[in-house]
Amino acid sequence: MKLIRKRRNRYALSLAASIYLTVWLGKAFMLEVVFAFGAISLISLLLLVRQSRLLYDATLIWDNRILAVPSALISMPGPQMKKDTGETVVSTFGILIGSEIYRWGLDGVHGVRLHTAQIDKERMYLTFGDASKTTRVELLHGMTEKQAILDAAQTLLRETGVTAEIINWK
Amino acid sequence: MNRFKTLNARRLSVVGFSFLFAYILSFQFEGQVLYSLLNLRGTEADRYILAAIIAHFAGLFTCGLFVKSQAAAKSMMFGGMGLCLAATVPFFFAPSSLWIGGLIVSGYFSGCVVAAWGFFLRAFAPKNERIKSCADVLIYSNLLMVAVNVVAMNRSTFIGLGFSMLCLVIGMVFIWMLPLEQENEQNKTFKNKTHGGIKNPLILLCLFIFIITINSGLMYQVINPAFEPLTRLVSWYWAVPYIVALVIMRNLPMKAKRSRILYIGMAMIIGAFISFMLLGRNTSDYLIVDTLMLGACGVFDLFWWSILGEMLDYSDNPAQTFGIGLSANVFGVLCGGVLGMTVTSIGLPSAEVAVIALTVVCVTLVMLPPLNHQLVLLLKSHAYLATYDNISQSQQTDIIRQIKILDPLTVREEEVLQLILSGKSNREIAGALFISESTVKTHVRNIFSKYDAGSRAELISTLLKNQRVE
Repeated sequence: MKLIRKRRNRYALSLAASIYLTVWLGKAFMLEVVFAFGAISLISLLLLVRQSRLLYDATLIWDNRILAVPSALISMPGPQMKKDTGETVVSTFGILIGSEIYRWGLDGVHGVRLHTAQIDKERMYLTFGDASKTTRVELLHGMTEKQAILDAAQTLLRETGVTAEIINWK
Repeated sequence: MNRFKTLNARRLSVVGFSFLFAYILSFQFEGQVLYSLLNLRGTEADRYILAAIIAHFAGLFTCGLFVKSQAAAKSMMFGGMGLCLAATVPFFFAPSSLWIGGLIVSGYFSGCVVAAWGFFLRAFAPKNERIKSCADVLIYSNLLMVAVNVVAMNRSTFIGLGFSMLCLVIGMVFIWMLPLEQENEQNKTFKNKTHGGIKNPLILLCLFIFIITINSGLMYQVINPAFEPLTRLVSWYWAVPYIVALVIMRNLPMKAKRSRILYIGMAMIIGAFISFMLLGRNTSDYLIVDTLMLGACGVFDLFWWSILGEMLDYSDNPAQTFGIGLSANVFGVLCGGVLGMTVTSIGLPSAEVAVIALTVVCVTLVMLPPLNHQLVLLLKSHAYLATYDNISQSQQTDIIRQIKILDPLTVREEEVLQLILSGKSNREIAGALFISESTVKTHVRNIFSKYDAGSRAELISTLLKNQRVE
């Protein structure tokens, strides 16, 4: 989230600077440089728009969070396993892992979907993906009370429609 | 029996208003009778015309402030028409300060009377018949105006003035006979079911009306004087294309896409000003220019009159909504008139006048899609909500459960859907569920996607279609 905001601000700054330079150099009739900075302005604008949309999505996920933990363990199909140290947020509309955004059911029925959810004493396991790729995420949820686990499962069902399976609890 | 009473009341209100409006069109609001009188006396017309229009605008705009019930509306209509009658008498005599005073009084009160009629349009015209009621009053009043104009321009100005006043007297008789009805229950029910109210669509509609009628003002001040020598033809043909356009629009099937006709209207305005620029000033040229211009005016006038008529259902004060909407029309004519006077005084060539007019058309073309979106959102949603509300709670739940969707709704989405169907706006839903408005918007988008609908109206329409099948 912070990284996305930083990037957005950087692009905004770059856009303002390149527009200023384009105008300033335009006054001096340095046409070749004006074209170059004009192109940079255009690219900055496109990047700014894209980053702003990502920030909107990230904010939406953060505002509707179900669970937020400092890090997560991500596993993809195949042998690779990577640990992401970025903050991870599970929410009504998707999951935010560091600066990576996965929105489920983008506009209802398309794109990435949350398939399964399992919760044990230490971890929450989420499986999500689209037709081409499935991803599994392990989160250290930090909940010690069973009631807190049940509440989280209830919220997950209510907000995403996925029933969380509670395992290894007696 | 009740329906018969309503039908009679509707006829009374339409006929009464048509006679009043005939007076306004033939005399008070840039009427040929007034122009003929000013010509006859050799008086400078501009200040009289401007005073009358400004007063009329003020009447339309402020009527809603003190007319807040049907009884008050009836009193205002009857009393206002009486005052207009008295204020017109000085025009039988030589020009004096009573002329300008009379025009201000009659202008203001005729504006109030027109706005007050909003109460009766809402009470006596069924929802789907409003367009017909509006078309009827515009057609009848213009036919009466043509008759008065023919007399005033070809026989005697004073006989024309007498006929104008006679229209007012007849109108008063019909208004006197109007029954006072209880507020329709349906109006009370849906008044508060506006998604964000009618403010936004009304502002956008007023802006659209104002901009497009700048061309009408230009027409009054630039095109009409150019064909002044054709008095006999102008006296009867002037409003014929307008009436024909209204008749066509009135009798279009309900399914017809009227929004497309607006684009045809735009093209007609463009054609009128280009013709004015390229053609001469003889009879056939007048027929072409006037047919295109007044035909377009007919299309647009009926469009916003009927839209305002539909909006009355969602307004606390029909006189205010109707008055403010029509005041935008008058304000546009006023600004266009001032522009036209300026153009005439500096002797701008017709080509440049056409460019100004075409610029106005371009701006309105840009405004049409968002206007259409806002109006559909307001009017169609409400029409569907009205139907949906008449279904029992258990049937509503059954409909939602039975309908095939692309993906099951979550519990939260079901909650949001219920609130959508109870007519709540995004802001109200956010308040009810203690979530942010952007969260609600996302849920709403997801729900639309799951039902394969593009808007609230389409969503409710889908649900109702499903109900009909069952």
